[in-house]
This record gives sequence, structure tokens and C-alpha cells, in this order.
Amino acid sequence: MAEIDKNQSGDTRRDFLKKSSLFTALSLTPLTVLKAADQKVDERFAELFEKIPLNLKVNNKAYTLKVEPRVTLLDLLREQLHLTGTKKGCDHGQCGACTVHVDGVRVNSCLSLAAMNEGKSITTIEGLAKGDELHPMQAAFIKHDGFQCGYCTPGQIMSAVACVREGHANSKDEIREYMSGNICRCGAYPNIVDAIHEVKEGGKVI
Amino acid sequence: MEFFIDENDRVDGIEKVTGKAKYFAEYQLPGLTYGVLVTSTITKGKIIAIDTKAAKNAPGVLDVLSHLNKPSAAGYEQAGGSPMKIFYTDQVFFNGQPIAIVVADTFERATYAASLVKVSYEKTAFNTDFEASIKDAAVKKLQGAPPYVRGIADAYKTAEVKVEQTYKMPVETHNPMELHGIIADWGVNDKVTVYAKTQGVKSTQNTIANVFKIPAENIQVNSQFVGGGFGMALRTWPLEIAAIMASKQLKKPVKLIITRDQMFTMVGNRPAAYQKIGLGATKDGKITGITHTAFGQSATYENFTEGVVNMSKFMYDSENVNTNYYVIPLDMGVPIWMRGPGEATGAFALESAIDEMAFALDMDPLDFRAKNDPEQDPSQKRPFSSKYIKEAYKLGAAKIGWNNRKNKPGSIVEGSWQIGYGVSVGVFNAGRGRASVKGILKADGTLVLQSATSDIGPGTGTGMTLIASKLMNIPVYKIVFELGDSSLPPAPSQGGSATLSTVGSAVNDVCVALKSTIAELAANSNMDATSNFVDVLKKNNLPMIEKTIQSSQNNPEAKNYSMYSFSIHFVQVKVHQLTGVVKVNKIVSVGDSGKIVSPKTARSQMVGGAVGGIGMALTEEAILDNRYGRYVNNNFADYHVPVNADVPDIDVIFIDKPDPIVNPMGAKGMGEIALIGFAGAVANAVFNATGKRIRSLPITPDKVLEA
Amino acid sequence: MINFQFVRTSVIKTALGLVSKDSKATFIAGGTNLVDLMKRGVTAPEKLIDINHLPLKQIELKNNVLHIGALVSNSALAENQLVKEKFPLLMLALKAGASAQLRNVATVGGNMMQRTRCGYFYDTTMPCNKRQPGSGCGAIGGYNRMHAIFGTSEFCIAVHPSDMCVGLVALDAQVVLASIKGERKINFIDFHRLAGTTPEKDNNLQKGELIVRLEIPINNLNKNFHYLKVRDRTSYAFALVSVAAALEINNNTISNARLAMGGVAHKPWRLQLVEEFLKGKPATTATFEEAAKLAMNGAKGFGENDFKLKLAPNTIIEALTLAKAKA
Repeated sequence: MAEIDKNQSGDTRRDFLKKSSLFTALSLTPLTVLKAADQKVDERFAELFEKIPLNLKVNNKAYTLKVEPRVTLLDLLREQLHLTGTKKGCDHGQCGACTVHVDGVRVNSCLSLAAMNEGKSITTIEGLAKGDELHPMQAAFIKHDGFQCGYCTPGQIMSAVACVREGHANSKDEIREYMSGNICRCGAYPNIVDAIHEVKEGGKVI
Repeated sequence: MEFFIDENDRVDGIEKVTGKAKYFAEYQLPGLTYGVLVTSTITKGKIIAIDTKAAKNAPGVLDVLSHLNKPSAAGYEQAGGSPMKIFYTDQVFFNGQPIAIVVADTFERATYAASLVKVSYEKTAFNTDFEASIKDAAVKKLQGAPPYVRGIADAYKTAEVKVEQTYKMPVETHNPMELHGIIADWGVNDKVTVYAKTQGVKSTQNTIANVFKIPAENIQVNSQFVGGGFGMALRTWPLEIAAIMASKQLKKPVKLIITRDQMFTMVGNRPAAYQKIGLGATKDGKITGITHTAFGQSATYENFTEGVVNMSKFMYDSENVNTNYYVIPLDMGVPIWMRGPGEATGAFALESAIDEMAFALDMDPLDFRAKNDPEQDPSQKRPFSSKYIKEAYKLGAAKIGWNNRKNKPGSIVEGSWQIGYGVSVGVFNAGRGRASVKGILKADGTLVLQSATSDIGPGTGTGMTLIASKLMNIPVYKIVFELGDSSLPPAPSQGGSATLSTVGSAVNDVCVALKSTIAELAANSNMDATSNFVDVLKKNNLPMIEKTIQSSQNNPEAKNYSMYSFSIHFVQVKVHQLTGVVKVNKIVSVGDSGKIVSPKTARSQMVGGAVGGIGMALTEEAILDNRYGRYVNNNFADYHVPVNADVPDIDVIFIDKPDPIVNPMGAKGMGEIALIGFAGAVANAVFNATGKRIRSLPITPDKVLEA
Repeated sequence: MINFQFVRTSVIKTALGLVSKDSKATFIAGGTNLVDLMKRGVTAPEKLIDINHLPLKQIELKNNVLHIGALVSNSALAENQLVKEKFPLLMLALKAGASAQLRNVATVGGNMMQRTRCGYFYDTTMPCNKRQPGSGCGAIGGYNRMHAIFGTSEFCIAVHPSDMCVGLVALDAQVVLASIKGERKINFIDFHRLAGTTPEKDNNLQKGELIVRLEIPINNLNKNFHYLKVRDRTSYAFALVSVAAALEINNNTISNARLAMGGVAHKPWRLQLVEEFLKGKPATTATFEEAAKLAMNGAKGFGENDFKLKLAPNTIIEALTLAKAKA
């Protein structure tokens, strides 16, 4: 994390960069992002090089990382930690394929900046099974054929586990509503509902 | 890990539920770089200049490629021709067209740098307005298929009872959950490896070979897991070529994943459609004429046509049928077949009109259909290889409680809701192509089957494994079916509901061949003909035997038959009287697609088709602002695919009777018929509930309210 | 997305100080809307102040006023026992919004700051006065099916997308805002703005101010209430029209009423005149129909959203009917 005091060091860096003519040739486009960049161009480029430290746990493994602030939790998992079970479906919080648990709560990892997860404990689909033993929800998804192409499946399963844990799986209709943040284009919804319903009715603590 | 609850579970289920299944974007290649596309912000015209200075200076950026500096693609060097040659033109054909690719060391840096590329254009006038162009298309006779006439054209006009209506459908987008893209790795000696999202690894291999004029065997295409396709991955899109060019130029692997909004513009769509149906019948309910005129949408730079009017030629027994199909080239990305393709579009119109006619005749729509059900294919004058549609009517009707339906619309009211029932049929050609399969039978009791086919979700491996398991009497967990690899024996692309029939036939044939070899070996070594293959191989000191078989395309008898899969969809809907909200309460889908090889995945296909059908009927519409040529709802929040809460429990019934002609399994495809017809059933149910006939999809609350 | 600076603090004063002296800095809480907008290039702050660690997550009842910290998540608020008992209308509104995952992260303050879903606002190549003042309004004369029918201007016809805010405006909530100068309190109804000539301003939050909490006075509107959201699919979609309705009914006579709409204006649309009309009237369909008619005074369609002129009153009638039937 960028410490608050350290954050004041911008001037030094800006001064340094002003001495270099590295970025003077930058031409601007009418995009909003560039309008914002109209001033202090050099500083902004300095930030491009900036990575901040990040400590988090993923599937009970501790990581000490350096990340650009703009990296999302989803891209961190997939592109840097190579935990590709978590999927990118829309990148805008509109499909649920990227659902993971952060401190036990289901979230869309695509809209969470990695840097916002300092000190947090993340569980992804890779961390759900205990060794070779499938999590009951994973087994139920296989049994009820709760997927076809399988791309939304990790997000569905992470969401489903949370749905039961939250106490929002008391009826099929409640499951339907609380699973509506996970889109399945193959249309496996009824099978997904059956799988969750069975796990819930099974009464096991999951 | 051996984990099979039963033999019908998906063979790749464990990989899919544990996150181990690897889709194209998930392969870690050393030195991997990231490509991000720059897309046109005008709809038509010419690129005057591309200023890449800022982008190239941005941290981590390796290069920016466009038509100004791309590496050579020999196949694109000749002038003219189709398809669009990416980076070989300065022309802009549609808004959102990929015009440059930025490659950087990380995804974030490439994305940022792409926003710094500045493009100047010379704009020209454009046309994206489908409806406004219809009149023009009819005048110009922009035919998408030859006109068809059987008997007298427009005979409906003189019928005792007639229905003449227009039905509209908007652009829909496939939008599989997995974003499109590719990892391209152009290696030394022009050896190219790609990890692709494709419905056909051989097709991708051939396209790349043709574009770059390198031998197909130089190109390795890997596509083991595909996160849905629904048709959009049936071709290699220009953006994939862009990534390969970038890899060729940079001598590094390039990963390109497009964004969700780009999924609306550059990887096809289901084209908008405008259809006129004229139906004529006698007062006692015999159809005397069907006229089906359809307008579809295409692109200016490539043509696209599909089978919108096919069904009208043979589904109902009418002496007089005529069809016309026109396409309208617009300044938009070219469409591509989307699940159920044109047949689903056509079925909505025809099956709505059939329902309108039944109502006009005061007949039960099922009775009306049954009365006009042809004994044989009236367009080809030959029998159907198998068809149990009347049995399907009965089974479905009983399950949904059709006898609760009232023929008079608006008869059933529960609180603020009106209840209605609807039915519609679907039909799709039961095609079969040629495929090769290699079978390796091993002395350890396992069987490996290999074919360069795909699985975009239906469960190809599961179906093939079950076919082999039954034939070879080997448990499914001892069979491995390998696919999605262009080095395997060739198979056609996965599309048109033909994979099970095509590749399954080859699996059948290879299993028969392996069995016959085992029988020979048994005979030669004085073993009993029924000996287990493991014993036979061991006795002969063979670790394994291999056979590669290319299946024939057809049973020789096939030419004497019309071969189709049929479906019938029953729905019960409720419609809110004050808000116009439509909810599908109950669904019964009956499939008549021959013998069911893989019951669990087959059921899932039918369920998935119904869910897609709910989308088509009630929610899906890609909206383009014709002033700008850009989509205004190009995301999953505003383009509404159905969510879980939209979907009730779905009953699936299979006739499950083998087709004696189509292939050795007697099985016909079902991916398309699962969807075809569904939207009509919903529209018909909305009419039955309310008396309001909505002829324009999707049936959103505003349309119901204002009808 | 530019590589902005990222600063985290757990001290409110520090957070306020950081934003007050830096015009390119902004707060980030749940980020469910801000990160989305940054990815689309709609906004590009150069510094994000992560406020998730500020001590603003309490829900407490003090002197018959419910205090809700601005960083309480939408889920936590909807599941809170006090909210369920005292303000079930708010609970329904919260649960009608977004998805379970988004509600887990989205905060109360962030929900209030949510920007419109207008497609022209989101596409940086198209005109939008809200995103780029002076560039024009794409929705007027364009795709405006989702757009406003009340309080529109020639500059902008976008709607505020929140459900929670529709519930809050009906409940007479107040908003406490903090800046380095101190705190101020405004009525929730005055927080959001109409577009007028300055559609770039969604609300009356001043630069450097932070939403710190909401206060909702206890009322008797927890028996006959309903939140009805009409949308294009059953869940996970923005409202075509939504209605928050709450009634106090004694001997079938309405003694108190609250009515607000979503999906119809640039701000959550409170219908105080209609509430006054309802008071003292019998709780009958006829009353509800008259109220709905009254509610539509001044409504204006823009073509594709003309249907809202019919849908909106119908939704009011149905919401009031369901509220009445609840007891």
C-alpha cells in the first residue's frame, strides 16, 4: 500500500521526470482519460511505473506481491497467480463468472481492485475441494449436470456455496433469486437450482 | 480421481467444477504478451491516420500494429475478395471494427495504451437501419435464397380463411460466457501454435493456413475447453488473425481477449428479421396455402444467409407454398448462425401464424397442427426417416395440463395475473458429415478415442464415450475421448446439431473395427470369440491395437428420406395485467430426435434451449442507434439474457425411438431443436393469456402494456 | 485505465484532507460502480482514497432514529434486524437492486453516488452532457426507453438507477456529510438533483465532502408497505419503473402515506402531493387509481419511453394495492 506519508513524494518524482524529456511528445486524444491527463502528464507517467505492495491470502496461501493499483483482483488471480478457475465473463460485475469469496463473502472479483484486498483472505474455486475430495456443491453440480460449457461454473459454485451459507437457499424460488447474479448462457439454471436445493436439504454444514 | 456418480455424468465434470478445465486464455506460455484492440469509432469511411506515438511510448508497450505496419499475410496480398482482410484495408465497414492492436507486457498496460491511440477518419454516409431498408431490398430483389414455389403462389389470398401478418425480430447476440480471443504463438520456421476458442479446430487451422499461406501441418490448434459458442465460434474472426500477425511480428506469444462490448460487434450476431406470413385454410381447418417472405440482415463487406424460410416448405401439408428470402446488406458487423439459426427465426413467424389461424378457425392449435401434419415431406415427396410428432403432441399436452387451457383468450385470471398456454413446434435438418476417429484399445483395459472435434458445451466427449462404452462393453471411466486438437484425426466443426451423428458414427465404426480385430486375434490364438479384449491382447503380447476410421457420410438409403429432428414446446405463462410483465411458469419440451445416446446431457441441451428461448421470446434485443451506428446496450446489464429467476422447472420428454436411417446409433442432433420454436410457444401463450398478439420480439412489458 | 495512485487510510480526517487538496482524487468504497466507470473510460481519477477502513459501518438506533454508517454494505443493511423490523420497505428496495455479490460490496454511500446507466453516458464516443458537458444528449431523439419522464431538461433525460434510494427518499431519511470544515446534514430528498442545465452534477455533494451516515426517523410505516420493481427480466436488471409505497391504514382509512418512484427521473422521485391526497381517503382501488393519475402530473415521454406514462401509474396502483394487502 502506498503509505500516506510516502504519497507526498510525488513532487520529487515529478521534478525528476520534468528533467527528462521522455514524455514530452505525448499527443492527446479527446478521450476523458486523456483530458484528465492534460496536466501533470509527467507525474501520471511516473505512476505508470508505480507498483504497491500487497499482502493477501488466497486459498490459505499467503502472498506478498507488488501490483499496479489498477489491477483487479480477477486479473491478479488469473494473470499473475495463474489461478484461472475464476473466470472473466464481462469484466463489469454483470455476469458473476468471477465470483470468489473475500473473507467468506461472495463478491465479483472483476470490480474489486486487488489493492483493496490488503490483508484479506480469498477463496477461489481451486480452494474449495479438500484435496481430492470434492466439495458437496461441486459433487452436486456434477450429479445434476449444473453446467454445459463449464465457463460460468466456478462462479456459480462459489456463489452457490455462499447462497447456502447466507441462509438464502430455503426454497427453490429463493435460490433462483439469490443465484440471479450468475449468468449461465448454456441455460443450466434448473439443474443448478436442483444441485443447490439438494445440498441445502442434505443439511450438511458446507 | 475416479468420481462417477453414474455413467451418464459428464466425462469432464470434475475438471469443470474444480476450475482445472483450461479454456484458451488460460495457458501459460513463457514470454506471454497481451494484445488489446483499437476499434473504429465511425461506422463507414476511411482511416486517414493512426497516431500511435503516445501508445508506443507508454510503459510496457511492445508495438502497435495496423494496416500501416502489419507483417505480411500472403493470403491477403491479392486484391478483393471476402472475408474482410484485417489490417489489409484502410476501409471502415462498421462501427467497432478492429483497426489496430496494441501489444504490451501486461493486460493493464496494453489496455491503457490502446486508449492512447488516436485515429483520424474520413467519414462517409452509412446505413444501419434495417427496417427502413426493407422496401428497398424487395425492390432490388436482394435474394438470400432462390424463390420457392409449390403449386400456386400466394394461394392463401383466395382461401376461405386467411391470416396475413408481419413478425419482427431484433438483432440478438450469442454472448457465450467466455469472451472471445486467442493466444497466438508464431514460432521459428513458421510453426504456429494457437489456443483458440473455436467450434472447429480443423477449420481454424485451415483458415490460418490460407491467410498466411503456410502448410496446415505447421499450425497446431488447441481448443480443449470452449466456454460456449452457440455459433459465434464457427469461423476464425479477423481479430484472431490480428493476434497471429502480432505474434509473427513480435516473435512472442500474444494473448488477445476481447471485451464484452466487442462481443456485440466483431464476432457475429443473429441478424434482425422481418417476416410476412400469409396462411390460407378451409373453414374446417385444412391449410390451402402458405406464403413466407423473409428479410434478413447481412453486411456490406461479406454476405450472410440462413434457412429462415425452410420450415414453411414441409412442416405442414399444403399443396401451395411459396417462399422468398431477401437479405439487406448494412454497415454492421457480419452476422453468423446463432443457435437454432434461421430456422428459429422462421419458426417464430410460422408458428405464430399457425396459432393465429387456429384461433381464427376456433380450433385448438394442437388439433389444427395435427390435422395438417403431412404423412411425408411435401417438398421432397419422400418419407421422413422417422417422425413421431403426433406422439410428442400427446405426451407434452398431458404433461403441461393442456386440457386446462381455454381456447378463448383471457379466460384464466389469478389475482393480477392472466394465465395462458401456448405451443409451438421446431424442426431442424438431421445432418451428418464425415469424420475420422482413432481408437486405441489397450491391454490395461482402457480405450482411447481421438478426433479433432469440439465440445462447446453439449457434452461431445460424454456422448462419444457412452456410444463406445455400450458397443465395447467397457465402463465409461476406462474410456478417454480426446478432442479439440488439430493434430487428431479430422472432424468437421461443431455446428448444425451434427456432431453426435457425424463423429458418433465414426466412433461406432472404429469400435466395430476394433472388435472385429479382437475377434480375429482371438480366433488366431484359439481363444473363444467372446473373450475379453484384455485377455486377447495379452495372449498376443500386444500392449494395444489401433484403428483409424473415416465414417461414411451417409447410409446409402438416406437419399430416399427426409431426415429431421423435431421438437414441440409447451409453455404456461402468466401476464401481469397492470405492468405487462410476462413470466414463464411451466415448460414442457418434447424432443423427437431419434435414440437418446446420453440422457443426462441431452436433457440439459433441451433445458438450455428453452432458456435461450425465454431470452429470445422475452428479453433479448441488441439495440443500435442508427444515427451513430453503435450499440447502446452492449453489455450484460442492458442486453438481457435470462437469469436464474426467469426460468422455472423444465420438464423434458424424449420420444427416444431410433431413426433407422440416419446413422448406426439411430440418434439425431438436438442442440438446435431445443431452441427452435420456443419463442413462438411463448408468444402464443401470451395471446392465450391476454388476447394480445405480440408479433415483435422480445415481448417486453411495454409491448404487452401498449398492445 | 490510467495507473492512478492508491492511498488507504482508516482515519476520516485524513481521508477528507487527501481529497480536499487534490482535484483529481476521489474516494473509493465498494467500487462496484467506480471501477466499472473507470474501465469504460467514463471517469479517470488520478488518485483513489480507499475509505473501506473508515469507522463507518455501524447500524444503531439512537433516540428513535436509525443511524446507518455510509460504509454499511447493501447486504448488511438489508439483513439487519432493525431494518427488517422498522423499515422493511428499505429492505425490499435493497434486495431489488443488483445481485447478491454486488450488494455484498456496494455500500450505502456508494449506492447514493451511483451514476446513471444511460448508454450514451457509458459510451465515450457518443454525446452526453452528463459525461462531457456541452456535447449534447444522445438519448433525446435516440434510444430512451429506459429514460426519465419527470423533471427532465433539454440537456439530460437520464434516470438515477438506485432502488435503495427510492426506499430512503420515501422514509424521510437524512444524510450526514463531512468535510474538513465539519459536518452538515441535509434531507435525503435534497441530496440528488434534477439535471437542469448541469447534468454533470448528480447530487449536491460538495467537492471534498464525504457521506458519513444516514439517519432515518422511526415511523409506523412497517405494516402496509411494498416495493414493486418492474423490469425487463425477473432479477438483476435496472428498473423500467419502481414504486416504494407505504401506508398507515386505520379502519380502512389512510392516515399516512409515503410514495416514491424509481426509473422515472434524474433523482429518486418522491410524490409528496400524492401522499397528501391519500391521507384521509379510503384505502380502495378507486383511491389508488386517482392517486396514480395525480402522480403523473407533469410527466412527459420522449418517444420510446412513452409507455412509462401508462406503466408508472399502473405500477403505483399495484404497489399500493399490494401494500394494503400486506397486513
